[in-house]
Amino acid sequence: MSHSSKTILHAEGITKTIDTGTHRVEILRGIDMAIPEGQFAAIMGASGSGKSTLLGLIAGLDSPTTGRVVIDGIDITGLDEDALAVVRGRKIGFVFQSYQLIPTLTAEENVLLPHELAGGGVAAGLARARDLLASVGLEDRLDHYPVQLSGGEQQRVALARAFMGKPPILMADEPTGNLDSVNGAHVLELLISLNEREGTTLILVTHDPMLASRAGRIITLSDGKIVSDEMQTAMADTALGDRRA
Amino acid sequence: MKLSWRTASRIAWRETRSSMTKFLFVVLAVAAGVGALTGVRGFSQSFRSTLLAQSRTIMAADLTARQFVPAGPEQTARLDDLAARGVEHTLITETISMASSAMVPIDSEAATPALMSVKAVDPSRYPYYGAVKLDPPMALADALAIDAVAVASDVLVRLDVKVGDKLRIGTQTMRIAAIVVSEPDRMSGSLNVGLRMMMSREAFERTGLMGFGSRGAYRYLFKMAPTAPPVAAVRSSISSALPDALVADFRESNPIITRGIDRATTFLSLVSLIAMIVGALGVAMAMHAHLQQKMDNIAVIKSLGGTSRDVMGIYTAQTLLLGIVGGVAGVAVGRMIEAGFPFLISRYFQMSFTTGWNLDAAAQGIAVGVLTTLLFTLPPLLAIRRVRPALILRRGMPETRLPWRQRLAETRSAIGVGALILACIGAIAGWLAESPRVGAYFAAGLTVSLLLLALIAAALLRAIKILIKTSPVRIPVLVRQGLANLYRQGNQAQAIMVALGLGVMFTLTVYLVQHSLVAEIVQTAPPGMPNVFLIGITPEQVEPLQALVARTKGVEGTPEFVPSVAIRITAVNGTPFEQLPTPESGRRFRGGRSVMFADAKPASIGIVSGAWWRKGETEPVVSVDIDAAQRLRLKNGDHIQIEGAGKTVNARVAAIHRVEQMRAGAANEFVFNSSALAGFPATFYGGVRMKTADVGAFERSAYRQFPAVTVINVVEALAIMQQVVDQVAVVIRFLSVFAILAGAVILAASVAGTRFRRVREVVILKTLGATRRHAGRIFSVEFLTLGAVSGLLGAILASVFSSLVLNRLLEAPYSFDWKITMLVVVLTALLAQTSGWLAGFRMLRQKPMEVLREE
Repeated sequence: MSHSSKTILHAEGITKTIDTGTHRVEILRGIDMAIPEGQFAAIMGASGSGKSTLLGLIAGLDSPTTGRVVIDGIDITGLDEDALAVVRGRKIGFVFQSYQLIPTLTAEENVLLPHELAGGGVAAGLARARDLLASVGLEDRLDHYPVQLSGGEQQRVALARAFMGKPPILMADEPTGNLDSVNGAHVLELLISLNEREGTTLILVTHDPMLASRAGRIITLSDGKIVSDEMQTAMADTALGDRRA
Repeated sequence: MKLSWRTASRIAWRETRSSMTKFLFVVLAVAAGVGALTGVRGFSQSFRSTLLAQSRTIMAADLTARQFVPAGPEQTARLDDLAARGVEHTLITETISMASSAMVPIDSEAATPALMSVKAVDPSRYPYYGAVKLDPPMALADALAIDAVAVASDVLVRLDVKVGDKLRIGTQTMRIAAIVVSEPDRMSGSLNVGLRMMMSREAFERTGLMGFGSRGAYRYLFKMAPTAPPVAAVRSSISSALPDALVADFRESNPIITRGIDRATTFLSLVSLIAMIVGALGVAMAMHAHLQQKMDNIAVIKSLGGTSRDVMGIYTAQTLLLGIVGGVAGVAVGRMIEAGFPFLISRYFQMSFTTGWNLDAAAQGIAVGVLTTLLFTLPPLLAIRRVRPALILRRGMPETRLPWRQRLAETRSAIGVGALILACIGAIAGWLAESPRVGAYFAAGLTVSLLLLALIAAALLRAIKILIKTSPVRIPVLVRQGLANLYRQGNQAQAIMVALGLGVMFTLTVYLVQHSLVAEIVQTAPPGMPNVFLIGITPEQVEPLQALVARTKGVEGTPEFVPSVAIRITAVNGTPFEQLPTPESGRRFRGGRSVMFADAKPASIGIVSGAWWRKGETEPVVSVDIDAAQRLRLKNGDHIQIEGAGKTVNARVAAIHRVEQMRAGAANEFVFNSSALAGFPATFYGGVRMKTADVGAFERSAYRQFPAVTVINVVEALAIMQQVVDQVAVVIRFLSVFAILAGAVILAASVAGTRFRRVREVVILKTLGATRRHAGRIFSVEFLTLGAVSGLLGAILASVFSSLVLNRLLEAPYSFDWKITMLVVVLTALLAQTSGWLAGFRMLRQKPMEVLREE
């Protein structure tokens, strides 16, 4: 797979301060980072280091107190709620620790959701949704509701859903955190292989060094600051496919 | 572990404080119910006194005394004494006379006279209450000059004259100064046959109508000043001053209206109880949702050694707190309702209401509020027993389905609790209505309505679920998600539908019944009552007149022809009348009386004691009006001897009856069997019910063919009745709207109660690219569907109940009105949309970052 070294995600001097009324908490104190297209980056850090907040800001789920975030050429700073939603729908896929499926929708419908929200016709998306579900091994569970699926299966549906809209960036927040080691490993393999197939930039938030070790770059946060930003051996800045070879 | 009430209250208070928004709706729901109840308990007193004030208007006085002879000088002096004690009076004389147009030669055909019901008043005093409305508008005193009269519009039609023309009456020629549009005491008049003609007492003297041998009625109207003695004392003074008179006071002016007040009071209390129940239902739902969220806390307390009793103590304290806060807020709402009523119905009532804080009503309202709240919260409170401490270890796991044996056991206890709730509600209803029977009916009616609503709601929800799962056409995801929200755990759509549906059903039923009734009255008369009366029919004219009626357009139902026979009562049980120890009031039976005969019991009377005779009875028998029987001390089995046209008959009293419907001219004080009065000369009165528009044509053709027969159109009197129906209905509808509001508040409470889940989903959708508009559309689909279905449910049941009430109870026709049904569905949908959005719009603003915080 060929890829350029274009920067797909750019964060510049972002800070996040929460004012609780009685005191101010500085969660992020000036973060600068650039993620090139196709990179697999892991953001690590202890609990409370600000890694989830950073993920939220670079994904446009929240706005920074100061600083600037550019996603695939779009400066999202100052965009309103709905404009942000549109950017997320087009540019970013999400995988969460606790799956976050809509309980009233079947597996297939959950996967179709981003497509429908983006205004796509059901018929047009159906083939892709089924294909994605097949690639996570759930082709025979299309009509199952989330409660009828195990945790591992739910997370696989969430994976398929994350790739549905062909987002250039995929953000995963502790995607295996709620799973046992066997299921966790399975989901991780699926995540990496789908990522390879779809050619997506992958940003993973985790506190698990084993998980992070699969990434090409590890950014470590502590106390709201980047304390280290390392490329992993020779695989740094290479496509996942290259690493798997 | 034994948790003290202190600790339980402290936990309860802190939990309540941390869920303020959610419980705000609960408090509002309770307040709506308590408010309606205290508002009604307070207002029904005002309402009662207002209707009583209106009954003064119907009499145009506080008290009236009616007799058929003028008061002597001694009696007049005693009445003047009363004036010194703050009771002034004025005399009205009523008589019947013929009048004709003075605009044409007296011997011409156009000068055919018509029967007038002449009323002579002192316009400077009469009426004490209400007003005589004239056309052109002017003061009564201005219209009634010494040479002028005011007449009913029928007079102009019958005599072919107009305002300003002159009429011949008695020895005088009088100018028509105005048309009498309405007079307050029309219904209480003594001689309501003939066409109304009103004149001043001076003019009346000049006409010489009350000459020797004239028959007239003398009605004294009394007005009590604030300083006057109590009404009972005044009444007995009048009775002793005028021993021959029939005295009435405003407390009993009209039995139909008085009974109406009692029914209205009972009914209004029950209406507000329905609002109360809907509110309590809301508390139960909110508590249920709250407990679902607190499962972890409950499990923790239990795993630390707390018993179910301890936990129930906490939540009972919480319920009590909510009930009391809601109750107190409700009292304030009730006060506003009470104060708002006069404004609301000012179109109908001219009277001013006196309202004020009523501590009894407030205490009752709060007590009923707290009790109902606790009752309805019993099921979720008892469910606490089923929470296992192990829950804490398997949080998030779906509920396991219990084996059927356990489910059955739980159903049984649920049914037990349900029965207890209904029994208590029945007891409360019985207490409010002061009738255990009404309480039982209320509980039964409520059970049936709730069951029906719950069943239909469950079926509809199931249908939606099936539709979503099996729809051949793929439903757009937002619509689907909105619909799916309806049948989700914790959403309580079924309970909302029941609550909202109950409110809609109730309000709409009241509207439909009232609407149909009023339509019926406007069209003709109250169901089954004649609106045109024929007077002075000879026995030979009965058949040709019946034929004429049969040929007339617009006649409804069967015309009635009632005989009237002039007789004199000569003896009771063999004792000559003069020697009877009858009380003063019985002496008025000494003169000639008009009586009637019938073989089948007329519909207008009801038997109080004894039995009606069988057809073909040859023994002379009589049924006596209860008032006459009391005055003459008659009981069943007594004999009364009557004389007339040279014949004497001794008739046995077979029954005592009560007059239930007023019939103009019907001499139904004494009803004999036909063989008793065989050979007595009789005249007949006719009663026909016809469409208002056709009355004029009938009047003319009857006049041409039977000039001696007087035709009386009583539609104007019926208009008064229509107003009463309207007034009562407005009040009921206003109150029943509170049940709908409570339903809407419950919807809001449910939305607030499911906030956690809703926010989470909005946030997930937002991370997937959904805008606020997308998420909002899901809410709209949900609320609009919920409202529309509740509205439809309520409308369908309202149609069923209205047709039952109208067809079975009131014998009035009912026709399904799809326009109203559609309107109700749309309005309920909009109401649900509004209340759902008010409770939920803030959730849409939630930043999607929440989704990560939850991780």
